Amino acid sequence: MSDEVRRLSEELARDPGSLVFLQLGETLRRRGQLDLALRVSLRGLERHSTNGDAHDLVARIRADRGELDRALEAWDAVLRLVPTHLGALKGKGFVLYTQGRWQEAERVLLEAAARDGGDASIAAALAHVRREADQAGASGTDDTDDASRGSPAEEARTLFAEALGDGEMTALLIDADGLVMAGVYPTADGDDVSQEIGAELCGVSDEVQRAMRHLALGRWTRIAFETDAATVAMAPAPEGGLVLVAADPALPHGLVRRVLDRCGDRAAAWLETAGARS
Amino acid sequence: MTGPYQGALASVARQRGILGAMVVDANDDIIVDAAVRHGVKAPTVAALAASIYRKARQSAGAAGLGDTTFLRMEAEQGHIFAAGRGALVLIALAESTVNVGLVRLAMLQAASGLP
Repeated sequence: MSDEVRRLSEELARDPGSLVFLQLGETLRRRGQLDLALRVSLRGLERHSTNGDAHDLVARIRADRGELDRALEAWDAVLRLVPTHLGALKGKGFVLYTQGRWQEAERVLLEAAARDGGDASIAAALAHVRREADQAGASGTDDTDDASRGSPAEEARTLFAEALGDGEMTALLIDADGLVMAGVYPTADGDDVSQEIGAELCGVSDEVQRAMRHLALGRWTRIAFETDAATVAMAPAPEGGLVLVAADPALPHGLVRRVLDRCGDRAAAWLETAGARS
Repeated sequence: MTGPYQGALASVARQRGILGAMVVDANDDIIVDAAVRHGVKAPTVAALAASIYRKARQSAGAAGLGDTTFLRMEAEQGHIFAAGRGALVLIALAESTVNVGLVRLAMLQAASGLP
């Protein structure tokens, strides 16, 4: 048992009526201990049946367990209690998307976007839903309602969404001058700090290039560094650019490396297409 | 091997594919202690790798990512690893066939034992 889980468990044991079960359940969920997380959250829900966050926690655990219909029920319960609950709107949108219910997913995600227009993950999810809806020929929405749909800017922002999947990762394509060409780097508050991150981190690759020349190690293929807040992996992109993936430090490094490779392929294909268009 | 850092260096240098390991002063990139194979230009490796590590630390700090604990560079013909602790950086140069996972563990363990 980790120190964090032990501390929260002890706190909950001391005060079973407290809301600390939310933290404990979430911590267990993130650690993949889904059965225990569900038990803790359902027990908490018994005492706090009108707490939207408690239903939201249950929903997320259900979703992680693949119990999508029950996750939807829990998110509906959240929205009955708190109609503006952003997490519930996003979660419900994701499940509907997973179930191929494109129009419903789009409606819910649009509602989420209206609540928080700066949330890059919502924009990315919306782009996904619309792309899938187009491919399936199932979308009945009017394209002219949303000027940003399919625009080059939107395409660039969501370039890596598919390669990143649902993991806690983000990716950027940075040009030789340190300017971000594609991708987003959202903070927990929903702000996009990609330009700042790109400008700061691209200097590392310049340094590596110089070192590899002096040490006769050939071309550099990847750099990865681990920090308190993230694992950052970078690889060279065409035209002197750089692909950067930042991931939750808890994610396996091998997975980050695979995602970096996928993003690199995606970036190369996108640059080629963009070159052909221009 | 008699230097004060030889325990840490030896635990890294004994990994298969490691060409050299060195403890470097993070401020001036000068080697404090080293265990390298014949032919490895230790001062050059130390200076360049420590410089990259410093740059990564500065960049990650400026980007709000916190302190950098470990860095790995892969090139066509080899790897460079760096793990920091206080004013020291443990650096290793390796062949391209090295087991990255094992070296990472050995480096982190060795770095945590640096005085």
